[in-house]
Amino acid sequence: MRYLLYGVLLAFSAGVAQAKSQIVLHAVGLESQYANVMAQIGGPYVEVRAIEDNPNADPHEFELSPGVARLLHGADVVVANGLGYDSWADKLLAGGKATVISAQAVRHLPASTPNPHLWYSPATMPAVARAVAAAYAAKDPDHANAYWRNEQAFVASLTPWNKALAGIKAHYAGAKVAVSEPVADYLLQAAGLSIATPFSLQAAVMNGTDPAPQDVSAQQALLSTGKVRVFVYNQQVTDALTTSFRAIAHKAGLPVLGVYELMPPSAKTYQNWMLQTTRALAQALAARQ
Amino acid sequence: MLDGFFASTVVQSALLIGGAAAALSGIIGVFTILRGQSFAGHALADISSSGGALALLLGISPMAGFFGLSLLGGLGLGQRRRADSSLVAGIMLGAGLGLTALLLHFAVSQRGVAGAAVTIMFGSLFAAPPGAGAWALGGALAGLLLIACLYRPLLLASLSEELAALRGAKVRLLDVLFLGMLALSVTLSAMSVGAILSTALLIGPAATALRLTRRPPAAMALAALLGVACAWAGVALAYASYGWTPGRVWPVSFFITACVLLTYIIAAWRRG
Repeated sequence: MRYLLYGVLLAFSAGVAQAKSQIVLHAVGLESQYANVMAQIGGPYVEVRAIEDNPNADPHEFELSPGVARLLHGADVVVANGLGYDSWADKLLAGGKATVISAQAVRHLPASTPNPHLWYSPATMPAVARAVAAAYAAKDPDHANAYWRNEQAFVASLTPWNKALAGIKAHYAGAKVAVSEPVADYLLQAAGLSIATPFSLQAAVMNGTDPAPQDVSAQQALLSTGKVRVFVYNQQVTDALTTSFRAIAHKAGLPVLGVYELMPPSAKTYQNWMLQTTRALAQALAARQ
Repeated sequence: MLDGFFASTVVQSALLIGGAAAALSGIIGVFTILRGQSFAGHALADISSSGGALALLLGISPMAGFFGLSLLGGLGLGQRRRADSSLVAGIMLGAGLGLTALLLHFAVSQRGVAGAAVTIMFGSLFAAPPGAGAWALGGALAGLLLIACLYRPLLLASLSEELAALRGAKVRLLDVLFLGMLALSVTLSAMSVGAILSTALLIGPAATALRLTRRPPAAMALAALLGVACAWAGVALAYASYGWTPGRVWPVSFFITACVLLTYIIAAWRRG
Protein backbone atom coordinates (compact mmCIF):
# COMPACT_ATOMS: atom_id res chain seq x y z
CA MET A 1 0.00 0.00 0.00
CA ARG A 2 1.11 3.50 -0.86
CA TYR A 3 1.06 6.20 1.75
CA LEU A 4 0.49 9.75 0.77
CA LEU A 5 2.32 12.56 2.41
CA TYR A 6 -0.07 15.33 1.74
CA GLY A 7 0.81 18.19 -0.52
CA VAL A 8 -0.95 20.37 1.98
CA LEU A 9 1.68 19.54 4.52
CA LEU A 10 4.34 20.78 2.14
CA ALA A 11 2.40 23.90 1.28
CA PHE A 12 2.57 24.98 4.89
CA SER A 13 6.34 24.93 4.91
CA ALA A 14 9.08 26.28 2.68
CA GLY A 15 10.22 22.90 1.44
CA VAL A 16 10.56 19.20 2.13
CA ALA A 17 13.86 19.48 3.98
CA GLN A 18 12.59 22.19 6.28
CA ALA A 19 9.31 20.32 6.86
CA LYS A 20 11.16 17.22 7.93
CA SER A 21 13.46 19.06 10.28
CA GLN A 22 10.52 20.64 12.10
CA ILE A 23 8.47 17.46 12.55
CA VAL A 24 7.66 16.78 16.19
CA LEU A 25 4.64 14.48 16.01
CA HIS A 26 3.53 11.60 13.84
CA ALA A 27 -0.16 11.28 13.16
CA VAL A 28 -2.38 8.96 11.16
CA GLY A 29 -5.81 9.53 9.66
CA LEU A 30 -7.47 6.19 9.00
CA GLU A 31 -9.29 7.79 6.04
CA SER A 32 -7.68 10.34 3.72
CA GLN A 33 -10.19 13.12 4.51
CA TYR A 34 -9.32 13.01 8.21
CA ALA A 35 -5.61 12.93 7.38
CA ASN A 36 -6.04 16.05 5.28
CA VAL A 37 -7.64 18.01 8.12
CA MET A 38 -5.00 16.70 10.55
CA ALA A 39 -2.25 17.95 8.24
CA GLN A 40 -3.84 21.39 7.99
CA ILE A 41 -3.90 21.70 11.77
CA GLY A 42 -0.46 20.18 12.33
CA GLY A 43 1.28 22.44 9.85
CA PRO A 44 5.03 21.81 9.60
CA TYR A 45 5.22 20.16 13.03
CA VAL A 46 3.15 17.05 12.36
CA GLU A 47 3.78 14.37 9.78
CA VAL A 48 0.39 12.94 8.78
CA ARG A 49 -0.25 9.80 6.84
CA ALA A 50 -3.51 8.36 5.51
CA ILE A 51 -4.28 4.67 5.46
CA GLU A 52 -7.39 4.42 3.31
CA ASP A 53 -6.68 6.65 0.36
CA ASN A 54 -7.44 4.51 -2.69
CA PRO A 55 -10.45 6.10 -4.39
CA ASN A 56 -10.90 2.98 -6.53
CA ALA A 57 -11.40 0.56 -3.65
CA ASP A 58 -14.37 0.05 -1.38
CA PRO A 59 -13.33 1.29 2.08
CA HIS A 60 -15.91 -1.02 3.65
CA GLU A 61 -13.83 -3.96 2.43
CA PHE A 62 -10.45 -2.76 3.66
CA GLU A 63 -7.86 -5.45 4.37
CA LEU A 64 -5.06 -5.05 6.85
CA SER A 65 -1.33 -5.28 6.12
CA PRO A 66 1.68 -5.42 8.49
CA GLY A 67 2.83 -2.00 7.25
CA VAL A 68 -0.38 -0.45 8.55
CA ALA A 69 0.16 -2.04 11.95
CA ARG A 70 3.68 -0.56 12.13
CA LEU A 71 2.43 2.85 11.12
CA LEU A 72 -0.29 2.87 13.78
CA HIS A 73 2.18 1.66 16.38
CA GLY A 74 4.44 4.65 15.79
CA ALA A 75 1.67 7.26 15.72
CA ASP A 76 1.13 9.93 18.41
CA VAL A 77 -2.36 10.90 17.30
CA VAL A 78 -4.84 8.84 15.28
CA VAL A 79 -8.22 9.90 13.92
CA ALA A 80 -10.77 7.18 13.20
CA ASN A 81 -14.29 7.51 11.88
CA GLY A 82 -15.95 5.00 14.20
CA LEU A 83 -19.40 3.42 13.71
CA GLY A 84 -17.73 0.19 12.58
CA TYR A 85 -16.35 1.88 9.45
CA ASP A 86 -12.75 1.31 10.53
CA SER A 87 -13.19 -1.20 13.34
CA TRP A 88 -10.22 -3.14 11.93
CA ALA A 89 -7.98 -0.59 13.67
CA ASP A 90 -9.47 -1.05 17.15
CA LYS A 91 -7.28 -4.00 18.12
CA LEU A 92 -4.13 -2.42 16.70
CA LEU A 93 -4.70 0.81 18.61
CA ALA A 94 -5.62 -0.77 21.94
CA GLY A 95 -2.86 -0.27 24.49
CA GLY A 96 -0.76 1.89 22.15
CA LYS A 97 0.72 5.30 22.86
CA ALA A 98 -1.49 7.12 20.37
CA THR A 99 -4.28 9.47 21.38
CA VAL A 100 -7.21 8.08 19.42
CA ILE A 101 -9.91 10.49 18.29
CA SER A 102 -13.09 9.04 16.86
CA ALA A 103 -15.42 11.20 14.80
CA GLN A 104 -18.32 9.20 16.21
CA ALA A 105 -17.22 9.98 19.79
CA VAL A 106 -16.65 13.72 19.25
CA ARG A 107 -20.08 13.94 17.63
CA HIS A 108 -21.58 11.98 20.59
CA LEU A 109 -23.34 9.55 18.22
CA PRO A 110 -24.70 6.20 19.40
CA ALA A 111 -23.19 3.04 17.91
CA SER A 112 -26.55 2.28 16.31
CA THR A 113 -26.24 5.28 13.94
CA PRO A 114 -26.97 3.62 10.58
CA ASN A 115 -25.00 5.94 8.27
CA PRO A 116 -21.24 5.93 8.99
CA HIS A 117 -20.19 8.55 6.40
CA LEU A 118 -19.82 11.26 9.05
CA TRP A 119 -17.35 13.48 7.15
CA TYR A 120 -20.16 14.55 4.81
CA SER A 121 -21.87 16.28 7.75
CA PRO A 122 -20.86 19.93 8.28
CA ALA A 123 -20.95 19.30 12.03
CA THR A 124 -18.23 16.64 12.00
CA MET A 125 -14.93 18.24 10.96
CA PRO A 126 -15.08 21.27 13.29
CA ALA A 127 -15.53 18.86 16.22
CA VAL A 128 -12.73 16.62 14.94
CA ALA A 129 -10.45 19.63 14.33
CA ARG A 130 -10.95 20.83 17.90
CA ALA A 131 -10.09 17.39 19.30
CA VAL A 132 -7.06 17.10 17.01
CA ALA A 133 -5.71 20.53 18.01
CA ALA A 134 -6.17 19.63 21.68
CA ALA A 135 -4.36 16.30 21.20
CA TYR A 136 -1.47 17.94 19.32
CA ALA A 137 -1.21 20.67 21.97
CA ALA A 138 -1.13 18.10 24.77
CA LYS A 139 1.65 16.08 23.11
CA ASP A 140 3.64 19.10 21.86
CA PRO A 141 2.91 22.09 24.16
CA ASP A 142 5.69 24.18 22.52
CA HIS A 143 3.58 24.63 19.39
CA ALA A 144 0.15 24.71 21.03
CA ASN A 145 -0.52 28.26 19.83
CA ALA A 146 0.22 27.32 16.24
CA TYR A 147 -2.12 24.31 16.43
CA TRP A 148 -5.00 26.37 17.80
CA ARG A 149 -4.38 29.10 15.20
CA ASN A 150 -4.51 26.49 12.45
CA GLU A 151 -7.67 25.03 13.92
CA GLN A 152 -9.36 28.43 13.83
CA ALA A 153 -8.20 29.01 10.28
CA PHE A 154 -9.55 25.61 9.27
CA VAL A 155 -12.97 26.19 10.81
CA ALA A 156 -13.12 29.63 9.17
CA SER A 157 -12.26 28.08 5.81
CA LEU A 158 -15.42 25.96 5.99
CA THR A 159 -17.56 29.10 5.59
CA PRO A 160 -17.83 28.97 1.75
CA TRP A 161 -19.06 25.38 2.00
CA ASN A 162 -21.64 26.23 4.64
CA LYS A 163 -22.77 29.21 2.56
CA ALA A 164 -23.15 26.97 -0.49
CA LEU A 165 -25.27 24.55 1.57
CA ALA A 166 -27.43 27.41 2.83
CA GLY A 167 -27.82 28.63 -0.75
CA ILE A 168 -29.23 25.26 -1.85
CA LYS A 169 -31.50 25.18 1.19
CA ALA A 170 -32.89 28.61 0.35
CA HIS A 171 -33.82 27.52 -3.18
CA TYR A 172 -34.67 23.85 -2.94
CA ALA A 173 -35.65 23.04 0.65
CA GLY A 174 -37.72 19.85 0.72
CA ALA A 175 -36.86 18.87 -2.86
CA LYS A 176 -36.64 15.11 -3.29
CA VAL A 177 -33.47 13.34 -4.39
CA ALA A 178 -32.62 9.67 -4.98
CA VAL A 179 -29.34 8.05 -3.94
CA SER A 180 -27.55 4.74 -4.46
CA GLU A 181 -25.87 4.58 -1.05
CA PRO A 182 -25.95 6.75 2.06
CA VAL A 183 -22.48 8.18 1.25
CA ALA A 184 -23.46 11.83 0.84
CA ASP A 185 -26.75 11.67 2.77
CA TYR A 186 -25.56 14.00 5.55
CA LEU A 187 -24.59 16.66 3.01
CA LEU A 188 -27.90 16.31 1.16
CA GLN A 189 -29.80 16.64 4.42
CA ALA A 190 -27.71 19.66 5.46
CA ALA A 191 -28.72 21.23 2.13
CA GLY A 192 -32.37 20.79 3.13
CA LEU A 193 -33.07 18.06 0.58
CA SER A 194 -35.28 15.06 1.24
CA ILE A 195 -33.88 11.63 0.40
CA ALA A 196 -36.64 9.59 -1.22
CA THR A 197 -34.74 6.30 -1.63
CA PRO A 198 -35.67 3.74 1.08
CA PHE A 199 -32.80 3.46 3.54
CA SER A 200 -33.02 -0.35 3.42
CA LEU A 201 -32.01 -0.17 -0.26
CA GLN A 202 -29.14 2.21 0.50
CA ALA A 203 -27.94 -0.16 3.23
CA ALA A 204 -28.18 -3.20 0.93
CA VAL A 205 -26.06 -1.47 -1.73
CA MET A 206 -23.58 -0.22 0.88
CA ASN A 207 -23.20 -3.65 2.48
CA GLY A 208 -23.42 -5.65 -0.74
CA THR A 209 -26.38 -7.69 0.46
CA ASP A 210 -29.45 -8.74 -1.53
CA PRO A 211 -31.65 -5.72 -2.23
CA ALA A 212 -35.39 -6.10 -1.71
CA PRO A 213 -37.19 -6.16 -5.10
CA GLN A 214 -39.86 -3.93 -3.55
CA ASP A 215 -37.21 -1.29 -2.80
CA VAL A 216 -35.69 -1.63 -6.27
CA SER A 217 -39.13 -1.11 -7.84
CA ALA A 218 -39.69 1.95 -5.65
CA GLN A 219 -36.32 3.38 -6.69
CA GLN A 220 -36.96 2.67 -10.38
CA ALA A 221 -40.27 4.52 -10.12
CA LEU A 222 -38.55 7.49 -8.44
CA LEU A 223 -35.96 7.70 -11.20
CA SER A 224 -38.18 7.16 -14.23
CA THR A 225 -41.20 9.25 -13.32
CA GLY A 226 -39.47 12.49 -12.44
CA LYS A 227 -40.42 12.40 -8.76
CA VAL A 228 -36.85 13.33 -7.80
CA ARG A 229 -34.66 16.18 -9.02
CA VAL A 230 -31.29 14.42 -9.03
CA PHE A 231 -29.75 10.97 -8.59
CA VAL A 232 -26.64 10.87 -6.38
CA TYR A 233 -24.45 7.77 -6.54
CA ASN A 234 -21.15 6.62 -5.10
CA GLN A 235 -18.68 6.52 -7.99
CA GLN A 236 -16.08 4.82 -5.83
CA VAL A 237 -18.07 1.59 -5.68
CA THR A 238 -19.39 -0.14 -8.76
CA ASP A 239 -22.16 -2.71 -8.81
CA ALA A 240 -24.74 -3.86 -11.31
CA LEU A 241 -27.66 -2.32 -9.45
CA THR A 242 -26.17 1.18 -9.28
CA THR A 243 -25.26 0.93 -12.96
CA SER A 244 -28.85 0.03 -13.85
CA PHE A 245 -30.16 2.97 -11.75
CA ARG A 246 -27.84 5.32 -13.58
CA ALA A 247 -29.09 4.01 -16.91
CA ILE A 248 -32.71 4.65 -15.90
CA ALA A 249 -31.84 8.15 -14.70
CA HIS A 250 -30.03 8.95 -17.95
CA LYS A 251 -32.96 7.67 -19.99
CA ALA A 252 -35.38 9.83 -18.03
CA GLY A 253 -33.13 12.87 -18.46
CA LEU A 254 -32.56 13.07 -14.72
CA PRO A 255 -29.37 14.85 -13.61
CA VAL A 256 -26.87 12.38 -12.15
CA LEU A 257 -24.22 13.33 -9.60
CA GLY A 258 -21.30 11.04 -8.77
CA VAL A 259 -19.77 11.52 -5.33
CA TYR A 260 -16.67 10.05 -3.73
CA GLU A 261 -16.51 8.08 -0.52
CA LEU A 262 -12.87 8.95 0.21
CA MET A 263 -11.21 12.26 -0.67
CA PRO A 264 -10.39 12.11 -4.40
CA PRO A 265 -7.00 13.21 -5.79
CA SER A 266 -8.77 16.04 -7.67
CA ALA A 267 -9.56 17.80 -4.36
CA LYS A 268 -6.77 19.86 -2.81
CA THR A 269 -8.26 19.96 0.67
CA TYR A 270 -11.21 18.52 2.54
CA GLN A 271 -13.07 21.84 2.49
CA ASN A 272 -12.32 22.19 -1.24
CA TRP A 273 -13.74 18.70 -1.85
CA MET A 274 -16.94 19.43 0.05
CA LEU A 275 -17.36 22.79 -1.72
CA GLN A 276 -16.83 21.14 -5.13
CA THR A 277 -19.39 18.46 -4.34
CA THR A 278 -21.93 20.99 -3.07
CA ARG A 279 -21.47 23.23 -6.13
CA ALA A 280 -21.90 20.21 -8.40
CA LEU A 281 -25.08 19.38 -6.48
CA ALA A 282 -26.40 22.92 -6.96
CA GLN A 283 -25.69 22.65 -10.69
CA ALA A 284 -27.46 19.30 -10.93
CA LEU A 285 -30.48 20.71 -9.09
CA ALA A 286 -30.56 23.75 -11.37
CA ALA A 287 -30.32 21.56 -14.48
CA ARG A 288 -33.89 20.33 -13.97
CA GLN A 289 -36.37 23.15 -13.67
CA MET B 1 -47.54 -9.97 0.53
CA LEU B 2 -46.78 -10.48 -3.14
CA ASP B 3 -47.93 -7.02 -4.25
CA GLY B 4 -46.18 -5.98 -7.44
CA PHE B 5 -44.39 -9.36 -7.64
CA PHE B 6 -44.66 -9.90 -11.38
CA ALA B 7 -44.32 -6.22 -12.23
CA SER B 8 -40.89 -6.02 -10.59
CA THR B 9 -38.06 -6.18 -13.14
CA VAL B 10 -35.84 -7.66 -10.42
CA VAL B 11 -38.31 -10.50 -9.84
CA GLN B 12 -38.75 -11.11 -13.58
CA SER B 13 -35.03 -11.51 -14.06
CA ALA B 14 -34.74 -13.68 -10.93
CA LEU B 15 -37.53 -16.00 -12.13
CA LEU B 16 -35.91 -16.25 -15.57
CA ILE B 17 -32.38 -16.98 -14.32
CA GLY B 18 -33.49 -19.25 -11.47
CA GLY B 19 -35.94 -21.15 -13.70
CA ALA B 20 -33.46 -21.64 -16.55
CA ALA B 21 -30.75 -22.80 -14.15
CA ALA B 22 -33.05 -25.18 -12.26
CA ALA B 23 -34.50 -26.77 -15.42
CA LEU B 24 -31.11 -27.52 -16.98
CA SER B 25 -29.52 -28.53 -13.67
CA GLY B 26 -32.39 -30.94 -12.91
CA ILE B 27 -31.85 -32.85 -16.15
CA ILE B 28 -28.04 -32.76 -16.03
CA GLY B 29 -28.33 -33.74 -12.36
CA VAL B 30 -30.07 -37.03 -13.21
CA PHE B 31 -27.22 -37.89 -15.61
CA THR B 32 -24.70 -36.84 -12.96
CA ILE B 33 -26.21 -39.15 -10.32
CA LEU B 34 -26.52 -42.05 -12.77
CA ARG B 35 -22.85 -41.59 -13.65
CA GLY B 36 -21.86 -41.39 -9.99
CA GLN B 37 -20.24 -37.99 -10.56
CA SER B 38 -22.01 -35.93 -7.89
CA PHE B 39 -18.72 -35.03 -6.30
CA ALA B 40 -17.23 -33.97 -9.63
CA GLY B 41 -20.26 -31.71 -10.07
CA HIS B 42 -19.63 -30.09 -6.72
CA ALA B 43 -15.93 -29.71 -7.51
CA LEU B 44 -16.74 -27.94 -10.77
CA ALA B 45 -19.00 -25.57 -8.87
CA ASP B 46 -16.22 -24.68 -6.44
CA ILE B 47 -13.73 -24.24 -9.28
CA SER B 48 -16.20 -21.99 -11.10
CA SER B 49 -16.18 -19.61 -8.13
CA SER B 50 -12.66 -18.54 -9.14
CA GLY B 51 -14.12 -17.64 -12.53
CA GLY B 52 -16.71 -15.47 -10.84
CA ALA B 53 -13.99 -13.73 -8.86
CA LEU B 54 -11.87 -13.27 -12.00
CA ALA B 55 -14.86 -11.72 -13.81
CA LEU B 56 -15.30 -9.23 -10.96
CA LEU B 57 -11.62 -8.37 -11.09
CA LEU B 58 -11.63 -7.84 -14.86
CA GLY B 59 -15.05 -6.20 -14.90
CA ILE B 60 -16.47 -8.71 -17.41
CA SER B 61 -19.75 -10.65 -17.25
CA PRO B 62 -19.80 -13.03 -14.26
CA MET B 63 -21.41 -15.66 -16.46
CA ALA B 64 -18.41 -15.70 -18.79
CA GLY B 65 -16.12 -16.08 -15.77
CA PHE B 66 -18.10 -18.90 -14.17
CA PHE B 67 -18.35 -20.77 -17.49
CA GLY B 68 -14.72 -20.31 -18.50
CA LEU B 69 -13.31 -21.72 -15.28
CA SER B 70 -15.82 -24.55 -14.87
CA LEU B 71 -15.15 -25.57 -18.48
CA LEU B 72 -11.44 -25.54 -17.71
CA GLY B 73 -12.13 -27.61 -14.59
CA GLY B 74 -14.26 -29.99 -16.66
CA LEU B 75 -11.43 -30.49 -19.13
CA GLY B 76 -9.10 -31.15 -16.20
CA LEU B 77 -11.46 -33.75 -14.75
CA GLY B 78 -11.97 -35.27 -18.20
CA GLN B 79 -8.29 -36.23 -18.31
CA ARG B 80 -9.01 -39.11 -15.98
CA ARG B 81 -11.39 -42.04 -16.21
CA ARG B 82 -14.64 -41.66 -14.34
CA ALA B 83 -13.70 -44.29 -11.76
CA ASP B 84 -10.86 -42.30 -10.18
CA SER B 85 -12.19 -38.83 -10.92
CA SER B 86 -13.12 -38.25 -7.24
CA LEU B 87 -9.50 -37.90 -6.23
CA VAL B 88 -8.72 -35.45 -9.01
CA ALA B 89 -11.93 -33.59 -8.24
CA GLY B 90 -10.93 -33.23 -4.60
CA ILE B 91 -7.54 -31.79 -5.48
CA MET B 92 -8.93 -29.43 -8.11
CA LEU B 93 -11.68 -28.28 -5.75
CA GLY B 94 -9.13 -27.18 -3.18
CA ALA B 95 -6.93 -25.47 -5.75
CA GLY B 96 -9.95 -23.73 -7.29
CA LEU B 97 -11.17 -22.33 -3.97
CA GLY B 98 -7.63 -21.24 -3.11
CA LEU B 99 -7.46 -19.33 -6.39
CA THR B 100 -10.85 -17.79 -5.54
CA ALA B 101 -9.42 -16.53 -2.24
CA LEU B 102 -6.57 -14.78 -4.07
CA LEU B 103 -8.74 -13.29 -6.84
CA LEU B 104 -11.34 -12.07 -4.34
CA HIS B 105 -8.55 -10.43 -2.36
CA PHE B 106 -7.48 -8.52 -5.50
CA ALA B 107 -11.04 -7.71 -6.54
CA VAL B 108 -11.94 -6.37 -3.12
CA SER B 109 -8.78 -4.41 -2.42
CA GLN B 110 -8.27 -2.93 -5.90
CA ARG B 111 -11.72 -2.50 -7.33
CA GLY B 112 -14.71 -1.28 -5.40
CA VAL B 113 -16.88 -4.36 -5.27
CA ALA B 114 -19.07 -4.47 -2.21
CA GLY B 115 -20.06 -7.91 -0.89
CA ALA B 116 -18.15 -9.66 -3.68
CA ALA B 117 -17.43 -12.86 -1.78
CA VAL B 118 -21.03 -13.36 -0.70
CA THR B 119 -22.38 -12.74 -4.21
CA ILE B 120 -20.03 -15.24 -5.82
CA MET B 121 -20.30 -17.97 -3.20
CA PHE B 122 -23.92 -17.67 -2.11
CA GLY B 123 -25.55 -15.75 -4.96
CA SER B 124 -27.56 -12.53 -5.11
CA LEU B 125 -30.39 -13.37 -7.47
CA PHE B 126 -32.07 -10.02 -6.73
CA ALA B 127 -28.92 -8.16 -7.79
CA ALA B 128 -28.34 -9.93 -11.12
CA PRO B 129 -26.72 -7.75 -13.79
CA PRO B 130 -29.07 -6.56 -16.55
CA GLY B 131 -29.21 -8.92 -19.51
CA ALA B 132 -28.26 -11.93 -17.39
CA GLY B 133 -31.79 -13.33 -17.81
CA ALA B 134 -31.47 -13.53 -21.59
CA TRP B 135 -28.04 -15.15 -21.35
CA ALA B 136 -29.31 -17.71 -18.81
CA LEU B 137 -32.25 -18.60 -21.04
CA GLY B 138 -29.97 -18.95 -24.07
CA GLY B 139 -27.52 -21.10 -22.10
CA ALA B 140 -30.25 -23.39 -20.82
CA LEU B 141 -31.74 -23.82 -24.33
CA ALA B 142 -28.30 -24.62 -25.77
CA GLY B 143 -27.75 -27.21 -23.03
CA LEU B 144 -31.18 -28.80 -23.58
CA LEU B 145 -30.55 -28.94 -27.34
CA LEU B 146 -27.22 -30.71 -26.80
CA ILE B 147 -28.86 -33.23 -24.46
CA ALA B 148 -31.63 -33.88 -27.01
CA CYS B 149 -29.03 -34.60 -29.71
CA LEU B 150 -26.89 -36.89 -27.52
CA TYR B 151 -29.67 -38.39 -25.40
CA ARG B 152 -29.43 -42.11 -26.31
CA PRO B 153 -25.65 -42.62 -26.38
CA LEU B 154 -25.19 -40.35 -23.36
CA LEU B 155 -27.76 -42.22 -21.29
CA LEU B 156 -26.28 -45.58 -22.25
CA ALA B 157 -22.75 -44.43 -21.44
CA SER B 158 -24.01 -43.06 -18.14
CA LEU B 159 -25.63 -46.35 -17.14
CA SER B 160 -22.84 -48.62 -18.36
CA GLU B 161 -19.56 -47.61 -19.93
CA GLU B 162 -18.81 -51.14 -21.09
CA LEU B 163 -22.16 -51.67 -22.78
CA ALA B 164 -21.92 -48.31 -24.55
CA ALA B 165 -18.41 -49.13 -25.74
CA LEU B 166 -19.61 -52.49 -27.05
CA ARG B 167 -22.34 -50.71 -28.98
CA GLY B 168 -19.66 -48.57 -30.65
CA ALA B 169 -20.27 -45.30 -28.73
CA LYS B 170 -17.28 -43.00 -28.27
CA VAL B 171 -17.32 -43.12 -24.46
CA ARG B 172 -14.33 -40.83 -23.89
CA LEU B 173 -15.76 -38.16 -26.18
CA LEU B 174 -19.14 -38.44 -24.43
CA ASP B 175 -17.39 -38.05 -21.07
CA VAL B 176 -15.82 -34.78 -22.17
CA LEU B 177 -19.04 -33.51 -23.76
CA PHE B 178 -20.94 -34.31 -20.61
CA LEU B 179 -18.45 -32.40 -18.47
CA GLY B 180 -18.99 -29.45 -20.82
CA MET B 181 -22.74 -29.64 -20.24
CA LEU B 182 -22.14 -30.00 -16.53
CA ALA B 183 -20.01 -26.84 -16.67
CA LEU B 184 -22.89 -25.02 -18.36
CA SER B 185 -25.43 -26.08 -15.75
CA VAL B 186 -23.01 -25.22 -12.93
CA THR B 187 -22.57 -21.77 -14.49
CA LEU B 188 -26.30 -21.08 -14.58
CA SER B 189 -26.77 -22.35 -11.03
CA ALA B 190 -23.82 -20.30 -9.80
CA MET B 191 -25.52 -17.22 -11.27
CA SER B 192 -28.66 -18.08 -9.32
CA VAL B 193 -27.68 -19.44 -5.92
CA GLY B 194 -23.91 -18.88 -5.97
CA ALA B 195 -21.02 -21.16 -6.81
CA ILE B 196 -20.97 -23.13 -3.58
CA LEU B 197 -24.74 -23.63 -3.43
CA SER B 198 -25.08 -24.58 -7.10
CA THR B 199 -24.74 -28.25 -6.04
CA ALA B 200 -28.14 -27.87 -4.39
CA LEU B 201 -29.87 -27.32 -7.75
CA LEU B 202 -27.75 -29.97 -9.50
CA ILE B 203 -28.15 -32.84 -7.06
CA GLY B 204 -31.25 -32.01 -4.95
CA PRO B 205 -34.13 -32.13 -7.46
CA ALA B 206 -32.48 -34.99 -9.41
CA ALA B 207 -32.06 -37.08 -6.26
CA THR B 208 -35.69 -36.42 -5.28
CA ALA B 209 -36.91 -37.38 -8.75
CA LEU B 210 -34.87 -40.59 -8.78
CA ARG B 211 -36.49 -41.54 -5.47
CA LEU B 212 -39.93 -41.20 -7.04
CA THR B 213 -39.20 -42.95 -10.37
CA ARG B 214 -36.39 -45.11 -11.70
CA ARG B 215 -37.19 -44.44 -15.37
CA PRO B 216 -34.56 -41.92 -16.54
CA PRO B 217 -36.75 -39.86 -18.93
CA ALA B 218 -39.48 -39.47 -16.30
CA ALA B 219 -36.89 -38.67 -13.63
CA MET B 220 -35.38 -35.93 -15.83
CA ALA B 221 -38.75 -34.31 -16.51
CA LEU B 222 -39.66 -34.51 -12.84
CA ALA B 223 -36.27 -33.15 -11.70
CA ALA B 224 -36.57 -30.17 -14.06
CA LEU B 225 -40.10 -29.52 -12.84
CA LEU B 226 -39.18 -29.81 -9.15
CA GLY B 227 -36.12 -27.63 -9.65
CA VAL B 228 -38.07 -24.86 -11.35
CA ALA B 229 -40.79 -25.09 -8.67
CA CYS B 230 -38.18 -24.80 -5.88
CA ALA B 231 -36.43 -21.87 -7.59
CA TRP B 232 -39.66 -19.96 -8.15
CA ALA B 233 -41.01 -20.75 -4.68
CA GLY B 234 -37.70 -19.50 -3.26
CA VAL B 235 -37.96 -16.23 -5.19
CA ALA B 236 -41.58 -15.76 -4.04
CA LEU B 237 -40.73 -16.51 -0.39
CA ALA B 238 -37.76 -14.13 -0.43
CA TYR B 239 -40.00 -11.46 -1.93
CA ALA B 240 -42.62 -12.06 0.76
CA SER B 241 -39.95 -11.93 3.50
CA TYR B 242 -39.92 -8.14 2.97
CA GLY B 243 -43.11 -8.16 5.03
CA TRP B 244 -41.68 -9.95 8.06
CA THR B 245 -38.16 -8.49 8.12
CA PRO B 246 -37.42 -4.78 8.60
CA GLY B 247 -37.21 -4.15 4.85
CA ARG B 248 -34.25 -6.47 4.40
CA VAL B 249 -35.23 -9.52 2.41
CA TRP B 250 -33.63 -12.79 3.40
CA PRO B 251 -31.31 -14.28 0.76
CA VAL B 252 -33.13 -15.98 -2.12
CA SER B 253 -30.48 -18.73 -2.02
CA PHE B 254 -31.60 -19.73 1.48
CA PHE B 255 -35.23 -20.15 0.44
CA ILE B 256 -34.36 -22.07 -2.74
CA THR B 257 -32.08 -24.53 -0.96
CA ALA B 258 -34.63 -24.92 1.85
CA CYS B 259 -37.32 -25.83 -0.72
CA VAL B 260 -34.92 -28.32 -2.35
CA LEU B 261 -34.28 -30.02 0.99
CA LEU B 262 -37.97 -30.02 1.90
CA THR B 263 -39.05 -31.72 -1.36
CA TYR B 264 -36.34 -34.35 -0.86
CA ILE B 265 -37.48 -35.08 2.70
CA ILE B 266 -41.12 -35.34 1.62
CA ALA B 267 -40.24 -37.67 -1.26
CA ALA B 268 -38.04 -39.84 0.95
CA TRP B 269 -40.73 -40.03 3.64
CA ARG B 270 -43.49 -40.95 1.16
CA ARG B 271 -41.40 -43.71 -0.39
CA GLY B 272 -40.45 -45.01 3.05
